[in-house]
Amino acid sequence: MRRYTRLYWEFAKSHMKVMMEYRIDFLIGVFSVMLEQFASIFFVKVVFDHIEQINGWSFYEILFIYGIAATGRSIHQIFFDNLWTLGWQYIRPGKLDRLLIRPVNPLFHVVADRLHQDGFGQLIIGLIILGTAIPQLDLVWGAAEIGMLVIMIISSGLIFVAINLFFATFSFWMIDSLPIVWAVFNMSDFARYPLTIYHKGIRMFLTWVVPYGFTAFYPAAYFIDKSGYKEFALWTPVAAIVCCVIAYAFWNRGLKAFASTGS
Amino acid sequence: MITVENLKKEYKLVKRDPGLKGAIKSLFNRKYETKHAVKGIDFSIEQGETVGYIGANGAGKSTTIKMLTGILTPTSGKVTVNGLVPYENRQKNAVNIGVVFGQRTQLFWDIPVRESYNLLKHIYEIPEHEYEETIGMFTEVLNLEPLLGIPVRQLSLGQKMRCELAAAFLHRPSVVYLDEPTIGLDIAVKVKIRKFIKEMNQRWGTTVLLTTHDMQDIEEICDRIIIIDGGTILYDGGLDEIKKQFGQKRVIHFELADKEKFVLPASLDGQVELLPNEEETKVSLSFDHETVKSSFVISEMMSMYEIGDLNIADPKIETIVEELYNKQEQGGKHEEILANS
Amino acid sequence: MRKYWQIAKGRMQENTAYSAWYWAGTVSAVMRLLIIYFFWQAVYANQTTIQNINLETMLTYIVIAMLLQGFVGGVGNELAENIKDGQVAIQLMRPYDMIFKLFAVDVGSKIMYLIQGTIPMVLIAYFFMDLSFPKSPETIILFALSALIGIWIGTFFDFLVGVLAFWTVNVWGVRVLKESLITFFSGALVPITLFPDWLRIITEFLPFQAMVYLPVSIYSGLITGTEAYMALGIQLFWLVSLYVLVRVIWTQAIKQITIFGG
Ligand SMILES: Nc1ncnc2c1ncn2[C@@H]1O[C@H](COP(=O)(O)OP(=O)(O)OP(=O)(O)O)[C@@H](O)[C@H]1O
Ligand SMILES: [Mg+2]
Repeated sequence: MRRYTRLYWEFAKSHMKVMMEYRIDFLIGVFSVMLEQFASIFFVKVVFDHIEQINGWSFYEILFIYGIAATGRSIHQIFFDNLWTLGWQYIRPGKLDRLLIRPVNPLFHVVADRLHQDGFGQLIIGLIILGTAIPQLDLVWGAAEIGMLVIMIISSGLIFVAINLFFATFSFWMIDSLPIVWAVFNMSDFARYPLTIYHKGIRMFLTWVVPYGFTAFYPAAYFIDKSGYKEFALWTPVAAIVCCVIAYAFWNRGLKAFASTGS
Repeated sequence: MITVENLKKEYKLVKRDPGLKGAIKSLFNRKYETKHAVKGIDFSIEQGETVGYIGANGAGKSTTIKMLTGILTPTSGKVTVNGLVPYENRQKNAVNIGVVFGQRTQLFWDIPVRESYNLLKHIYEIPEHEYEETIGMFTEVLNLEPLLGIPVRQLSLGQKMRCELAAAFLHRPSVVYLDEPTIGLDIAVKVKIRKFIKEMNQRWGTTVLLTTHDMQDIEEICDRIIIIDGGTILYDGGLDEIKKQFGQKRVIHFELADKEKFVLPASLDGQVELLPNEEETKVSLSFDHETVKSSFVISEMMSMYEIGDLNIADPKIETIVEELYNKQEQGGKHEEILANS
Repeated sequence: MRKYWQIAKGRMQENTAYSAWYWAGTVSAVMRLLIIYFFWQAVYANQTTIQNINLETMLTYIVIAMLLQGFVGGVGNELAENIKDGQVAIQLMRPYDMIFKLFAVDVGSKIMYLIQGTIPMVLIAYFFMDLSFPKSPETIILFALSALIGIWIGTFFDFLVGVLAFWTVNVWGVRVLKESLITFFSGALVPITLFPDWLRIITEFLPFQAMVYLPVSIYSGLITGTEAYMALGIQLFWLVSLYVLVRVIWTQAIKQITIFGG
């Protein structure tokens, strides 16, 4: 573990050096992602200018859900963004071989191969949203709550990672599963709003099948008493761990299949 | 240190009819074709050997190397490298091996070469002083100094290959697999690379397994060659032996004052073969070294024609291998593909 | 002209080959419809109108806007890639106008998208969401015209963003930037009339509203009568201005290639 931490740091340092060479592009990336997020929040704001609440949730409560999703996603986007490219950057051009002849875990290598600058924009905006929303919520913030918020955000990030890893792994059999990964990732848009506004089937789906519900709604519900999901929300970290275990096991199966077909 | 016993690899390919109809049909009724890429090969290589692994396109060379590195799991048979089974202990095995795939880069694409090496240092946990020493030496021998600050994607093929080679030897592995390291390079770079490989082999006793289509590489680097064709081994032995065994053919080129009037001397008839020669003043004769002496051929020619110059060609590994491939083709045992569904 | 039509047809054929992307796109679009549907249902749970727009009109507006936004993109991405891998220099030697060629490619993919993507989506939306049709044939014609102009404005704008690849490395970031600008200012998420005043005024001076908001408003009856004709006028203005800009910047870009080697 310590070895991998050090190794990751070395990888990150070289990426940072490259990034600093292209400073303008770094800024463009960060700025665009912030604007993108800002646009969708502004949309909610515009709607709330004309109404009081949606399904019992006030503007700042929805903002809070949104902030958890954005911050969680930034973990995924900064550190694990390279999973998107598994098919077209590694498997299709045969570059995965390069990782397999190295004495490190191939998943680690794929992940460490890129540090996504634009994710920092996501992180900044996520923190801004949380900073705006939290003071407006009727909550008492102690060390325990802050600790819980951090755990929830990390869990949210891990679920994003696990889901992407799981669907990216299909690339081992079909060369490039990017369309699937992309379609599944789009489902995370559901998680922006309280799950209670959706049909029961959709709610079940987002809880038990593709658990994006745990990336935003449930973690936020933990802090908001009236949601009625306070207890259930405690399962969020468990869900995150289970997802990661399943996704990693599946990845290993994919790798094995790859080693026997060689393509 | 490398042992391979009855090693086989079969690829399963989905057979598809062309067009949309074919694609839809293959969704419901998949037909598989089995491709026997490597059909039960055996060999063993000792520490410090330099082995040329040659064969025609599609013979199964890269497949073998992938199995030796652990990238590919064999269908059956045994491989051990340094006592490890590569595909079971891939990461452990990786510490002791270096690999160059001539067709694709192992380096980090976007970052400068120096950074790439630095990352490799950490990946292979090379001690700092050893790393400094190695890098210093490689920089000198391969002339890397001007390249170190440039990202790999901006290097030319030859520059890239030099960097690539240094990366493969950086952690002083006990075996290095080189799959077509000289493909597409100019003579000067080739010479540099050959020299480098030989030097590493001598200095560190690195075992080298090399595939190439350039026989000059083999002659200059390897002590031993393994020839594979259609997934089976045709020949395994010393470079000198193969020349002795198959290389009895000699060729002598004569420069004549007047080629127009040339006819083969009657005394040489039946023993010597006239080879086609494009040049206007030259005649090439080929004969079996065992039955006819070169001196006899030369003296017969001199007695009949005015010879300007003559040139006895060495038995080249190139010609030998070519003949071996050709024989195999004509042998006609080429039903590697067994279709089943 | 024949030449460009062949290019468009070629692209249509190519696009049928990417069936995985097609299904992924369809699934994503259906999900977007679901989100839109449930979100607005929840918004209207406690009121019948927002700024005089009722739920039915709102859903109609949002869904049509979503469908139209699918056409607002263009060839910018392809152009940026061509610039990055040096293809542009090669393409310039071919016997066609590269701008027209790219637009032909774009028309090809849009026709395919219309057939494969939009029409099924429209059917789904009409069956399950009760959308309304425009009342008069005049409105339909006006909408068709306005939508067509809006799409071309979007295409030209996308081209301009693609050309930026000559000057920046982070093409992806620029695209995200463009997407957010359009999503936000084109009125694809919510009718611009709902914006706070200061923002609405800014928006009216930008080309983005001409891509989605104006045509969709004509369709859903938010803009009627002479206002509709004025809207068309505004669109025409943007269409011509952007085309001129495309030509000017492209000439500059070509100079860049021929002088600096790209
Ligand atoms: N991933 C794969 N899937 C299916 N068949 C493959 C795969 N890789 C190689 N083959 C087939 O196996 C055979 C051996 O291929 P291999 O790459 O080992 O040849 P090679 O000796 O390296 O040839 P070359 O000199 O052209 O590099 C070929 O017929 C090839 O088509
Ligand atoms: Mg090969």
